[in-house]
Amino acid sequence: MSDAPSHAPEKSILPSWVKGPQDFIGGLALVAIAAFALWASSDLQGMHGFSFGAGTAPRMFGILLLGLGAAVTVVGIFTEGPGLSKFHWRGPFFVALAILVFAVGIRPMGMIFAAMSSFLIAALGTPETRWKETIIVGACLTGFCALLFPYALGLPLQMWPTFLIR
Amino acid sequence: MKLFNRRVAISGLAAVAGFGALATTVQAQEYPTRNITMIVPFAAGGPTDVIARIVAADMSKTLGQQIIIENVVGAGGTTGATRAARAANDGYTIITGHMGTHAAAVPLYPKLAYHPEKDFEPVALLAGTPILILAKKDFAPKDLKEFVTYVKANSDKLNMAHAGVGSVSYSSCELLSSVLDIKPTGVPFNGTGPAMNALVGGQVDYMCDQIVNAVPQIKGGTIKAYAIATPDRNPSLPDVPTTIEAGLPKYQASAWNAIFAPKGTPAAITAKLNAAAAKALDDENVKKRLLDLGSDIPKPEARTQAALGSLVKSEVEKWSAVLKPAM
Amino acid sequence: MGDLFSNLGLGFSTVFQFVQWTPAFLGGMSIPLPINILLCLIGALVGTLVGVLPGIGTIATVAMLLPITFGLPPVGALIMLAGIYYGAQYGGSTTSILVNIPGEAGSVVTALDGFQMAKQGRAGPALAIAAIGSFFAGCVATVLIAVLGAPLTKLALAFGPAEYFSLMVLGLIFAVVLAKGSVLKAIAMIVFGLLLSMVGSDIETGASRMSFNIPELADGLGFATVAMGLFGFAEIIRNLDAGGEEDRQLVQQKVTGLMPTKKDLKDSAPAILRGTVLGSILGILPGGGAVIASFAAYTLEKKLSKDPKRFGRGAIEGVAAPESANNAAAQTSFIPLLTLGIPPNAVMALMVGAMTIHGIVPGPQVMQKQPELVWGMIASMWIGNLMLLVINLPMVGIWVRLLRVPYRLMFPSIVVFCSIGIYSVNNAPMDVVLAGVFGLLGYWLIKHDFEPAPLLLGMVLGPLMEENLRRALLISRGDATVFFTRPLSATLMAISAFLLILAVLPALRKKRDEVFVESES
Repeated sequence: MSDAPSHAPEKSILPSWVKGPQDFIGGLALVAIAAFALWASSDLQGMHGFSFGAGTAPRMFGILLLGLGAAVTVVGIFTEGPGLSKFHWRGPFFVALAILVFAVGIRPMGMIFAAMSSFLIAALGTPETRWKETIIVGACLTGFCALLFPYALGLPLQMWPTFLIR
Repeated sequence: MKLFNRRVAISGLAAVAGFGALATTVQAQEYPTRNITMIVPFAAGGPTDVIARIVAADMSKTLGQQIIIENVVGAGGTTGATRAARAANDGYTIITGHMGTHAAAVPLYPKLAYHPEKDFEPVALLAGTPILILAKKDFAPKDLKEFVTYVKANSDKLNMAHAGVGSVSYSSCELLSSVLDIKPTGVPFNGTGPAMNALVGGQVDYMCDQIVNAVPQIKGGTIKAYAIATPDRNPSLPDVPTTIEAGLPKYQASAWNAIFAPKGTPAAITAKLNAAAAKALDDENVKKRLLDLGSDIPKPEARTQAALGSLVKSEVEKWSAVLKPAM
Repeated sequence: MGDLFSNLGLGFSTVFQFVQWTPAFLGGMSIPLPINILLCLIGALVGTLVGVLPGIGTIATVAMLLPITFGLPPVGALIMLAGIYYGAQYGGSTTSILVNIPGEAGSVVTALDGFQMAKQGRAGPALAIAAIGSFFAGCVATVLIAVLGAPLTKLALAFGPAEYFSLMVLGLIFAVVLAKGSVLKAIAMIVFGLLLSMVGSDIETGASRMSFNIPELADGLGFATVAMGLFGFAEIIRNLDAGGEEDRQLVQQKVTGLMPTKKDLKDSAPAILRGTVLGSILGILPGGGAVIASFAAYTLEKKLSKDPKRFGRGAIEGVAAPESANNAAAQTSFIPLLTLGIPPNAVMALMVGAMTIHGIVPGPQVMQKQPELVWGMIASMWIGNLMLLVINLPMVGIWVRLLRVPYRLMFPSIVVFCSIGIYSVNNAPMDVVLAGVFGLLGYWLIKHDFEPAPLLLGMVLGPLMEENLRRALLISRGDATVFFTRPLSATLMAISAFLLILAVLPALRKKRDEVFVESES
């Protein structure tokens, strides 16, 4: 998938004949995605007789996206457009980490642990966080979820770590 | 919380400390001491889910612990079955699988992450929903004999609907084609609902599907049924002949549903579950609700764990001969 | 007509059924309780509260709450489920407007202008107009079902694969019009969405496509997962960029009235009317009609507006029209279920499941055999809509107050709620990871000025389009002219062509206008 934020080139890297860097890079990324999709669906069967194969539609859309990506790139070269926006790492990093920790933790560690740690990690994403308040709200939220999902909604969510239950 | 139940806490400590065997014996005798999760690998409200819920409700009463249904949907039920196969074999995770997940999936998905025989213990056969041969209401043939001749003669012109590769409808349609030795144009739909809609609307000519989905349409006269693919007629459709009566005895199909446990679940536990399921099937209320759905309730001799084991074996063989891999 | 009234009378008498309640603490005194109305109210309330949770869409809400109706008598259970369904839908719209997280395809469009209104401090009027529009649409659609339910069924049956394909083509053209920026980039996003929708197993052969042996991808990317990532998580990440907090504080200070002004009402009235008509018609079509209802309505408003540029920047019509259409479609999508017994979409399939669990097998005869059920449900639809209005107008103030929670506390809560929500739909941790990946992708898209809405719509329409195209070609044995020889399909294609021309013409004219403006300044 495109995790472009990390390797988005700085403005200075692009040659001066690129008038709209935002579209230029955006278009190129679409071309890359399309090429990847075409590669990923290359093992699928194509048309057989009058009927579509499994690979027909993915290939059709892949080629279409390739063309459109190229068109966006060309527009980026020839039309005056906005420069690249600045990417920040702190927000994306900690939010992504919080989500990941939740996903990895929910099965073995149960919801209480996963929700609380995910909340605290996400809070690292901004310098404005005041820890005392965050911990209190996080605990309340976790408690609320621990009541809401299994009891009020009757979802089979595991609350505590597996090794404690067994 | 259950956490503070001493027995559970002790057996939990034992397991952690490595006294697995001891813990298992304790668990088998006391079983069940907490809620049991039953995975249903299909959406809530589908035929398998309905049957599982009706039976599980009664089993919960017998076992004295709640059976909680967890719907894990995906890939023709194999996502949920895979999860059940990998679950702890302590009897607290069981699955209600069916003809698709525990038989037809073997030939359909060569990369299947489990094997119905090697990765599961058979627990209890619940109820089957018979398969019907259905057609749009103005389809020319009058009975099954005419249908067979007509479909054989016109197989390149006719459209057969099915509910998507991996569905019961797909497998039973393929079985029909193999019995009739024809290769019709199969039109795939996304589930039984849309396929039925197309049949009622006359967009397609015929299909095979489970009785539950078809009874109201047949009674309402919007489609017609040629035969039912079980040895006996069904009380909800007494006028529909069996395939044996109507001259196509080789076509036998029923979407059976059954409870399985992960391989290695102690025999004492599976026996307890089997007994609870058998008791549920004898309950008048459960029986009535299952019959209302048009399902078949297994006879006592078919309810044993051994009988279910051999059913799975024969079904895997049967479908392996009919179905080709879906790549 | 007399029949109609007696039928509706039967329906309302079912809904208004009183049950004598004799609680022990009253010492034998009994209180008459309007049990079905209470169930409807509880359903709508619970549905709204669950639907509001980000990460849980309509289908997930109904699936989650389905088991609580199992213990009730059949009619009561179904009435309650109908309440849950409307509540969930309205709850989803609330989340779209307040935090820009659509839970289903229909709310994507609501989020476009609704969230902009919220940013301008007009969340109150946006929420109120959504409730009012939905109520009006609900009333009209209820009458429509009662009067024309049976004949309209024929329309549902006349729609074959060829017609659906043409309808989806029309849908794609609507999606282009949604864009507020570059048309080229919008089309690129639609195609990107179509490509993403190809992930999963192929319906005809079962072959797995682009799923890289990840079992969670075997059935494709879930709409909620992608929407949560592209809208929810991406929006959070973007807000965390420097300056986010100041923006939010500005919003909180700007909150003006809670209720729509006279001008708002005047602006939205025709939009609500048109949305209702479009939604009612499209909702009848099983398998995809309702999906395109809300954005068809949005497109229509944008095309009719004297100042289309306001759309996507907080136009109240942009909330009123899709919300009315969505609710009307939700209502009329009951028609195929009630008259044929065939569920037209996933939510209705759940309803059928609920009916079978209660021993009612829906089918073509259910109208004759269990009239109190069918008419009770029709009547309860109207009651359900009324409940929504009663519950939600007072709640607007509470929801708007939620926006005052400091963002530094709000965003971690949204992250946790979304994660639990996504996880609980399939109990799959991988879905949560995927939503995170789409969050990063969405952040990147925002930075490059690509709009996520057309991508999502492409994703919803992709499978419907491909499947119906393939079905149509299978049935016609490869003859592509079916799309133009079948009258309904041909009509839809003609409308598509007409809209395309309309969409292209102003684009050309606009270029001239812009040149003109520049030279003048």
